[in-house]
Amino acid sequence: MKLERLLIRAAAALVPPSRRQEWLEEWESELAALDRARAAGARDVPGQLSFAVGALPHAVWTRTEGWTLDGLLQDVKYSVRVLGLSPGFTLVAALTLALGIGANASIFSLVNGLLLRSPAAIHAPERLIQIARSYETDPRWDNWSWPALGLIRDQAEAFTGVAGYTAQSFTLGTGADTERVLGEEVTGDYFEVLGVRPLVGRLLHPTDDVEPGAHRVTVLSHALWTRLYGGDPSVVGQTIPIGSAPYEIVGVAPEGFAGVEAIGTPPALWVPAMQNPGFHGDLPFAQWGWSWIQAFGRMKDGVTFDEALASMDVVTARLRDADPVNEQILIRLTQGVGLDPEGRREARTLAGILALVVGVVLLLTCTNVANLCLARAAGRRTEIGVRRALGAGRRRLIQQLMAESLVLAGFASLIAVPVVLSADRFLPMLFPYTLSVPVGADGRVLLFLAAVGIVAGLLFGAAPAWTAARSDVLGALKEGGTTGGRTRTRLRDVLVASQLALSVALVASAALLGRSLMNATSANPGFDPTGLAIGVLDIESTRRYDDETSLDLLDRVVRAVEQVPGVRHATVANSTPIVGGHARATMQPLGREDVELETEYNIVGPGYFETLGIPILRGRTLAGIHDEPVRVVAVNESLAKLFWPGEDPIGQQLAGNPPWTVVGVVGDVQMRSLRSPAQPGVYFPAEHASASMVLHARGQGGRTPDGEAIRAAVAGADPGIPLRISDLRQGVAASMGETRTIGYLVGAFALLALVLAAVGLYGLVSFGASERTREMGIRIALGARPQSLRRLILGRGLGIALLGIGAGVVFSLGLGHAIQGLLFDVAPHDPWALALASVVLLGTASVAAWMPARRAGRVDATVSLRD
Amino acid sequence: MPRSLGITSLQILAAVRAGDAYGLDIVTRTGLPSGTVYPTLGRLKRSGLVRSRWEDQRAADREGRPRRKYYELTGDGVKALEAGAGRVAGLAESLGLRVEGAR
Repeated sequence: MKLERLLIRAAAALVPPSRRQEWLEEWESELAALDRARAAGARDVPGQLSFAVGALPHAVWTRTEGWTLDGLLQDVKYSVRVLGLSPGFTLVAALTLALGIGANASIFSLVNGLLLRSPAAIHAPERLIQIARSYETDPRWDNWSWPALGLIRDQAEAFTGVAGYTAQSFTLGTGADTERVLGEEVTGDYFEVLGVRPLVGRLLHPTDDVEPGAHRVTVLSHALWTRLYGGDPSVVGQTIPIGSAPYEIVGVAPEGFAGVEAIGTPPALWVPAMQNPGFHGDLPFAQWGWSWIQAFGRMKDGVTFDEALASMDVVTARLRDADPVNEQILIRLTQGVGLDPEGRREARTLAGILALVVGVVLLLTCTNVANLCLARAAGRRTEIGVRRALGAGRRRLIQQLMAESLVLAGFASLIAVPVVLSADRFLPMLFPYTLSVPVGADGRVLLFLAAVGIVAGLLFGAAPAWTAARSDVLGALKEGGTTGGRTRTRLRDVLVASQLALSVALVASAALLGRSLMNATSANPGFDPTGLAIGVLDIESTRRYDDETSLDLLDRVVRAVEQVPGVRHATVANSTPIVGGHARATMQPLGREDVELETEYNIVGPGYFETLGIPILRGRTLAGIHDEPVRVVAVNESLAKLFWPGEDPIGQQLAGNPPWTVVGVVGDVQMRSLRSPAQPGVYFPAEHASASMVLHARGQGGRTPDGEAIRAAVAGADPGIPLRISDLRQGVAASMGETRTIGYLVGAFALLALVLAAVGLYGLVSFGASERTREMGIRIALGARPQSLRRLILGRGLGIALLGIGAGVVFSLGLGHAIQGLLFDVAPHDPWALALASVVLLGTASVAAWMPARRAGRVDATVSLRD
Repeated sequence: MPRSLGITSLQILAAVRAGDAYGLDIVTRTGLPSGTVYPTLGRLKRSGLVRSRWEDQRAADREGRPRRKYYELTGDGVKALEAGAGRVAGLAESLGLRVEGAR
C-alpha cells in the first residue's frame, strides 16, 4: 500500500468508531481525486503525501470535537485528588518518570546546541559555506595554503567574501605574570564575512592584514575582556603584551561570539593572520605546499548552494594551473559552520547513541511506572467496580485513568524542568569535547520535554487503562475476590519481562564499552605511553631566540632533563602521537615523479625512538641536534614498503633540495588516535626547531618522571619558558573520552535498570505469592513440603526472568550494533558481554524471586486458612 | 452568529461559495494545507455555516471514481462570509490599501 494510504488508515484509528467509515470514505475519495488531478497534469495541486498528512490533524479534531473543558477539568481535578491520596506512590512514580523525561530532554538540549541552534552573533549563518581542500585520489577535508586562499577569494564569483582562520595559542602578559590562552589568527575580512558587529571599538579590517608582521592589533573576546578588564570600555587603544610584544586592543567581540567552531575552547582573542609571529618569517604566506588556514565564505544574495558548488569548477582549474602541488586538487563545500562534515557525522552518531540509551531509559521508567500503576489498580478494583456499577462507561473510565496518567506525567515533567534548565552545567562534563556553543535549554528544549512527558504519560497509562476497562463489575465487587486480576497479572508478567530485557541490553552494552576501554588502555599503538611525561616548550613566547639559538636551547633543555633523577631518556619532537596532533607534507622518492604521497611527518630530537619506545627495524636512530649535518631521515615501515617495495630502504632518497637520505626504518605509530590505523610517516632530525617543541621524558621502570623536577631542570636552562607537564598515558586514555563517557553513562543506567527490574520482579512474585497464600495453606495441610512450595514460587519468577533475558539477548545484539562506532577491538555481539549480562541478570532475578519464595515456604497452614 | 471569523475561515467559505466544492478543490483554491482545511470545514459545519452532502453514487460510477462529499454554504454562511469580507475590506481601507472585488 502507498504511504499516504497507510497514513490515512493510521489516522482513522483516532476517529471515533461511529464516524470512522464516513471519515475514511471522504479521505479515500479526496486522494483519488488528487491522483486523477495529478495524472491529468494539474500543477497547482499539493503532493499526495503532504496532502495526506493533513488527515492527522483532521482525525485529532474529529476525536476531540465533543470534548468539553468541563469534563476535562473535572478529570484533571479528580486525578490530582486521587494522586494526592497516595503521596508515596505519586512521588516514587513521578521521580522515576522525571528521570526518564529529564534524561531525554537533556540529551535533546545537547543536540539542539550542537546541531540545531544557530551560532551566536553571526549574521545569517546558513549563507556561510565551509571551503575545504581535497584531492581526486585522496579525498579529505583539509586546510588551505595562504596563496590558495587568496586565489579562491579572488576567483570565487559566487561569494561576497572568503575568510580564513587558524587556532593558535598565545602567551599573554610578561614575566612571571603570564598565562596561555587559545585564540585565532584570522584574515582581515574574517569578521566582515561573518557579519559580526563589535561590542566595543572596532573589529579587524582587511587593512589590518596586508604585510607580514606589521599589524599588532587584537580583538578581545567578551569573556577575556570581562575577566582581565572587568568589562571596561576604555581598554580600546590600550596595549596588551602577547608573546612579549605589545598589541593594541582595537575592540571587543560581542558576548557569546565563539568563532565558527562548535567544538573546542572558545577563542579568547583574534589577531590578524599576517601578524603570525614565528620563526618562519614570510614563508607561510608564500608557499603553496604549506597548508595551515581553514576557509569559509558567504554566498552572494540569490546564489544557491548548488550554484556556489558549480562556480568552484573555475576556481579549481585556476588552482591547478597556479602550482604543480595542486595537480589533483579538488574543492569541497559544505553549508553552514560549526562542525565540518566529519564532525557533524560524529556528533550525529554520538547524539544518536545517547538518544538510544536515554530512549531505553525512558521505556524502562515507563514500564516501571506502568507496573506500579497496575499494582495500585489491584487495590482500586473496588473503586472502579463501584463507578462502573453506578453507570460510568468504559470510555469515560479510560478517559479518567488516562487523565490520571497524564497528570502524573505532567508532575514528573515539572520535576524534570529544573534538571534540564541546569543542563548547560552538567552536559559539558558528560561530553568528551570542550563545547564552545551553549547547550543550555531554550524554548525548543522545553517543548521537547513537554512532548516527551505526554508520550510517556500515554505509554505507561495505556496498560492500567486497558485492564481497568476490561475488568468485570461483579468480580470486582465481590469482597476479597482474586480472580479479576488474570489479565492484569499476565500484563505485569510481560512488563517485568521487558524490564529485564532492557536491563540485559544495557548491562551488555556497558560490558562492551568497558571491554573497549580495557582493550584501548592495553593496546599497542606502536609506542609505549606508560611512564612518559610530556610538556610543550613554548620557546617562541620568550621572543629571545632565533633558529640557531633555539636549537642550542633545546639541546641544553634535553641534557638538563636527562640529568633529572628518575629520567631514563629525554628528547624533543614537533608532535606527540595520539595527543599532540600530526603534521603532514607531500613526499616523493627521488627521481620518481609518478609516486607522490602526503605523509605524516615529525621533527624529532636525539633519542626520540628510544624515548618513545618505537622499535628501530633497520639502520640507525637519528643523532643529536647538532650531529646530523647531512640531510638524513628515518621513515616508518609503511612508507618504506610503499616507496621501495622489495628493496632495501636504507640509502634511498626522498626528493628535496638537496634530497634526504634514509638512514633508518622504524616501527609504525598510530599518530591520530587509537582507532585510526598508522599512516606512512617520515622523521626529520631537529635541525629546524618549530615554534613550539614538545619535551618528552621517559622515567625509569615504567614510572612517569616527576613533573616538578622536570620543570626545575627546564627553568635551569631558561626560567622564562612556560611549561606544563602531563602524563602521556593519561592523555592517551583521555583520547578514548567518548567511549569512556558513554561507558559511564550506560553503566550508571544499567545499574539503575537492574535495580528497577529487580524491584519489579520482586513485587510481581510477592504479589503472586500473597494472592496464593490460601492455596499454599491448603497444600501444606495436604502434606506439601516447604521446599516444593518454594520451588513453585521461585519457578514462576525465574520463568519470567528467563523469558526477559532471552528477549534481552536479542535486543542487546541490536544495541551493540548501534554503539559499534565506540567499540575498540571487541565485536558488538561479543559472547562474553552477553554471557556476563545474562548471568548478572539471572543472579539479580534469583535474589529478587527467592525472597518471596522463602516467605512462601514458611506459610502457616492454620493461619492462612483461618484468615 | 458565531464570533467574527478569521481570514482562514473566510478564505474557505469563499472557496465553498465558488460552487461544487469538495475538500481537494478547496485546498487547491485557497492554497491552504489540508491539515487546516478539513478541521476548519468541520468547525464551520458545526457552527452551521456550511453543510455537506454525499454525491449520488451513480454520478460517481459514471465517471469511474469514488463518490465525493461536497460542501455548500448555508444562509448563515453566506451572511457570515459577506460580513467578514466587509470587515476585511474595512480593515484594508483603514490601512490605506485598495481591495479589488471585495464587495
